[in-house]
Amino acid sequence: MAATIVAEGLSKHYRVKAREAGLRGALVALLRPRYREVRAVEEVSFAIERGEIVAFLGPNGAGKTTTIKMLTGLLYPSGGRAEVAGFEPWTGGAAFKQRIALVLGNKQQLIWDLPAEETFLLNRAIYAIPPADYRERLAELVALLDLADLLDKPVRQLSQGERMKCELAAALLHAPEILFLDEPTLGLDVAAQEAIRNFLRAYRERRGATVLLTSHYMADVSALASRVLIINRGRLLYDGALRELVLRTNPGKRIELVLGNGVERRDLEAYGTVCRYQPPNAALVVPREHAADISARLLAALPVVDLSIQDPPIEEVIREVFAEQAEKDTRAIEVGFERDEGAATGRAADIEAGGGGDKVPVGDRPGRSD
Amino acid sequence: MAFATSVWLHRYAALTRAAWLVDLQYRAAIGIWMLWGVVEPMISLGIWWSIAAGGAVQGYAGADFARYFFAIMLVNQLTVAWDAWILDGWIRLGELNLRLARPMAPIHEAITDNLAFKLQGAVVLGGVWLLVAGFWPAVRLPFEPERWALATLAVVPAAGIRFLSSYATGIAAFWITRATALADLQYGLSLFLSGRIAPLELLPPQVQAAAQWTWFPSMIAFPAEVLTGRISAPGGFWGGFALQLVWLAAWWVLYRLLWARGLRRYAAVGG
Repeated sequence: MAATIVAEGLSKHYRVKAREAGLRGALVALLRPRYREVRAVEEVSFAIERGEIVAFLGPNGAGKTTTIKMLTGLLYPSGGRAEVAGFEPWTGGAAFKQRIALVLGNKQQLIWDLPAEETFLLNRAIYAIPPADYRERLAELVALLDLADLLDKPVRQLSQGERMKCELAAALLHAPEILFLDEPTLGLDVAAQEAIRNFLRAYRERRGATVLLTSHYMADVSALASRVLIINRGRLLYDGALRELVLRTNPGKRIELVLGNGVERRDLEAYGTVCRYQPPNAALVVPREHAADISARLLAALPVVDLSIQDPPIEEVIREVFAEQAEKDTRAIEVGFERDEGAATGRAADIEAGGGGDKVPVGDRPGRSD
Repeated sequence: MAFATSVWLHRYAALTRAAWLVDLQYRAAIGIWMLWGVVEPMISLGIWWSIAAGGAVQGYAGADFARYFFAIMLVNQLTVAWDAWILDGWIRLGELNLRLARPMAPIHEAITDNLAFKLQGAVVLGGVWLLVAGFWPAVRLPFEPERWALATLAVVPAAGIRFLSSYATGIAAFWITRATALADLQYGLSLFLSGRIAPLELLPPQVQAAAQWTWFPSMIAFPAEVLTGRISAPGGFWGGFALQLVWLAAWWVLYRLLWARGLRRYAAVGG
């Protein structure tokens, strides 16, 4: 079956004005404007099958939202291609928009001064939803999201969590095949986040929708997505199952301990790497295959009040991925500098010997963006 | 075809209804804007009325000015557009993003927002005119069906030109930081060149000549002069109406070109 979302070498570059702060910087920028290229997304490729829920992870400014905006047709790419539900997003027009939904965590489509139901009625007209389908879907969404008491209140009087639930309902009334959710739980309390996650799971099961969501909350990722795309500085670093990422990046297990009196840090170091020691709490990282055995020895040898074996927090796993990439980037730049210095030395020697010329073409330098 | 027409009619009805309901929430602000819609032409009327007290000015006596500026008041309300400011905000603050994700161009929301305000304003300002006409005969217009039909015909492209010129100006926000500055410039020019400050015949000849090369007279002065009977068919009406259609087509083409190019460079900032 053809993938429902395909990105091949997708790139988005921006040309932004560079200027220093202050009045002098403003005047210089006016007289001699300088520009630099920002590579927000660089050669990103992936394919998402129908019915998958995929999480798109990355730090702020990584390129997640820019990628989603290209896949929903809001942005034209600088390079590459994409196909969503059989359409090229930026030329797909109304037929394409009818099949997708976009929810932005920090922007809303609900009409601020009117009850949410007015926006639902408006969307019914915009998406040409037949009346019977509208009633059925609205009833389903009201039940799943617990909206019954919210429909007749002006949106400005709803809490953030209530607004997001109404926002999701408005976005899903036309039963889109593909949902693009950009930070859907942003700023919500724990209960509201849980409600949104439960709803998305239930909706996917009932409707078979494909979901691509971005989030900073690892709980969203672990609760919803079986697959993650990790992006940083515009480049895709990882595409695969979350479990595989955990195993590959951090093959250890974490033993969380509540200790009794008299246990020193050095007592724990004999069993594994101590990653936290704040008596009575402590945590050890041990090889995955020995976790059970080491736990048994700890319980036998030390006064342990409570013990649990866990996978390392996903935040740590993701941070390690970014740290690895940052190290590779730094190393690439260093290698580039070393080659430059070597080339310069070689050129100096050539010139002394009566030769010359640039032996290192600019485009061959690793780690450079030009 | 019938299905597509039905969908669009339903969309327009729903959008206009939503705009109307939102306007009801802001009835105080809308009342103030409508009040300015009355005050601005009345200030001009006050000035010209006192000038005409010393004798008619190029064929305009006091009563002529009174009819003219009441016509300007109504035509202005029926053609007013503020979309340059709205669209500038949508583009700069990221509020265009979710609108672009819908299967309908954002201009339709702007059109129906416009229609809702115009309908409200026309009722209110038309009522003001009728009330004043009750005790001030100078502002009364004869009930001549042909004159009212031609005036209605002239108002439609006038409103279209004013809307599209405002919307297209707002699209400049894809390229420049403040498209509203361009809109402010147009507003200032229109005060003179569209007949809002004075009938165009009273402007210096060079200014009149320059105005004829712009769309401003087609937006307000032309329909107002049809309404007061200064322009009638076949006389100057059909020529002026044809010119309106030319400007309407020109602004439509410019809107389509700018929109298509603007979307290609849109950075979708603001979330």
